[in-house]
Amino acid sequence: MAIRAEWSSDDRSSGLAVGARPARSPPAGAPGEARRVSPRRRRRLSLQARSLLASSFALFAFLGLTGFALDQAFYESSLKELSYRLRSHVYAYLKDTDIAVSGKIIPPEYPPDSRFDRPQSGLYAAIVGEGTQWSSPSSLGHKLPYVDTLKPGEERFSGPVETELGTVYLYSIGVLLPWSDRGTPREMQTRIHVAEHESGINAQLDVFRRTLWAWLIGLGIVLLLVDLLLLRWSLTPLRRVASDLARVERGDHDHLEGSYPSELDGLTRSVNDFIESEREQRARYRHTLADLAHSLKTPLAVLRSGLDGDDADEQLRTSVAEQVRRMDEIVAYQLSRAATAGHKTFAAGIGIERCAEEIVRSLEKVHSDKQVLCEFEIDPEARFYGEQGDLMELLGNLLENAFKWSQHRVLLTAHRVGPIGARRRGLEIVVEDDGPGIPEDQVERMLERGQRGDERVQGHGIGLAIVRDIVNAYRGELVVGRSAVFGGASFALRFSALA
Amino acid sequence: MRILLVEDEAPLRETLAARLKRDGYAVDTAGDGEEGLYLGREVPFDLAIIDLGLPKLSGLDLVKKLREEGARFPILILTARSSWQDKVEGLKTGADDYLVKPFHVEELLARINALVRRASGWTKPVLQCGPITLDTTAQTVSVEGTSVELTSYEYKVLEYLMLHAGELVSKSDLTEHIYQQDFDRDSNVLEVFIGRLRKKLDPENAIKPIETVRGRGYRFAIPRAE
Repeated sequence: MAIRAEWSSDDRSSGLAVGARPARSPPAGAPGEARRVSPRRRRRLSLQARSLLASSFALFAFLGLTGFALDQAFYESSLKELSYRLRSHVYAYLKDTDIAVSGKIIPPEYPPDSRFDRPQSGLYAAIVGEGTQWSSPSSLGHKLPYVDTLKPGEERFSGPVETELGTVYLYSIGVLLPWSDRGTPREMQTRIHVAEHESGINAQLDVFRRTLWAWLIGLGIVLLLVDLLLLRWSLTPLRRVASDLARVERGDHDHLEGSYPSELDGLTRSVNDFIESEREQRARYRHTLADLAHSLKTPLAVLRSGLDGDDADEQLRTSVAEQVRRMDEIVAYQLSRAATAGHKTFAAGIGIERCAEEIVRSLEKVHSDKQVLCEFEIDPEARFYGEQGDLMELLGNLLENAFKWSQHRVLLTAHRVGPIGARRRGLEIVVEDDGPGIPEDQVERMLERGQRGDERVQGHGIGLAIVRDIVNAYRGELVVGRSAVFGGASFALRFSALA
Repeated sequence: MRILLVEDEAPLRETLAARLKRDGYAVDTAGDGEEGLYLGREVPFDLAIIDLGLPKLSGLDLVKKLREEGARFPILILTARSSWQDKVEGLKTGADDYLVKPFHVEELLARINALVRRASGWTKPVLQCGPITLDTTAQTVSVEGTSVELTSYEYKVLEYLMLHAGELVSKSDLTEHIYQQDFDRDSNVLEVFIGRLRKKLDPENAIKPIETVRGRGYRFAIPRAE
């Protein structure tokens, strides 16, 4: 007597949602809210502008400081040179200056430089003794601000100094000049000063500065241009990624191809993985839909032929029941297949224990007659990189089978596999029971179930076919064998590490 | 055995209710969650079958509320979703078993049987009290290995008494759990069933399985073998 309860779509969303996990519909008005949450942001500076801004800032700071330092150095050395020049004038005067018997200073007959004789020439000399003094004709009687505290033997360079003759640089020495005061040899404290107007050194500095800054600015501009070119060159791969992506979007390409600099390898690989998993998902939906449509056709055909034929009532009934069961399994299987996420690149890791705990608690409730002892050996660090729902399906289906077929014992092991330094460690999940196990020749048929809508094999339901499909979506491996511990069935799932 | 059936899809609800009644269960039906909650509070059920997608009050909320209010009877949930996440969610909320739609009615009956039996403390599907054996799966009764032919109502009465072996079962309890609400309670049909049961199980009046507690009810007197 196989009366079948009528299909009732109590969860209407799942009734028709082939190819998509029933989406939790967002609350009304959500789009508006979403728009409010992300206010329009100012467009960020482009990489090129950022880099250019930073490097031009650094460049100008560097060139400015360099210019300043060179300027200072040149000024210092000009002063030094000036002081040497003035000093040599001073020594020239010292050599040829005499003091008359009267105590008056007799300057040299010929000045060391003709400018000392030319009025306002910018080069001035003065000799100051005790109660006597002389100044070069060029100074036109104007006084230089002599410092008269110099002791014999002292020399001093000073400047710039404001004087009646303008701003000058001054070199002074103090000496004792021998003279005979009416026959008595004496020494007179004398100071010799030589001054030069600043215009000489300023003109020199001006020329230097003009040349220096012209070169520095020119250099700056050239360097900026070079920088710009370098930047364009080094950003070319990024631009290429963008244009390649646009090409992928348009469908001209399958994925980002060609070689990119090593810095972009991670990015392009991830993007490629993402593109691929998207494509796989789409393909899965398409295949699921096609499989669903095709596999439903057979039972429908059987039903129709049953109606056309002159089967007895009871026979028709059995046939309808059988085909309805088959269709139901096909729908359930294809639905779960379409819902499988299979993203493996961007998923966060999920711990195994909590999920397993929940399922086992549920199963213990449902199979409480059996008093099954389910043990865990779970590495707390082991992670499943994927959807929580997929992990639930995997553990749920495997553990349910184990509970169904075991005598008393079930063991769930989960541990990490693969190289220790891997970006993401692999995972192995093994579910074992002490039941009768699965004959080797049946394994293949059992796994194929669901896909073909085959007959029930060993009562393992379509659960294993679902498990196999999820494992495939995650590019994992499903190994069915015999438990070494309990002697029953053993199902091992392996997901490889990500280097 | 009195069952609460909460299902919003009318054809399924009626088909199921009819089938359950045919199998000797007393069935109360509700079309939405609130009605289900009301019935669940008022009537001492032996089991509830609750669909998850209900109007007004969802199946999960109904299960949660019933449990919060102290309902102890086993709850079986029906769902169109076969994902483990949904199953685990339902069982965590307080349900005891689940069935994914569409299902065989036989499967449902087997689950009901097991749940009721487990709720009364029997772990095996075969109830054994002294020489009397009642197989809840095959719905057969035998005394010292010889099978006894019982009508559906007789079987239900015996099953109820044996499930609660050792406990006092009042007449009103028995009537409420075995018959529909509209059944004529003042009639002495129950006494007649008990009398027939005694004759069929114990023709020599040697083992005296069913004891009458005067003015209060009945008790299955042979202790459980488990």
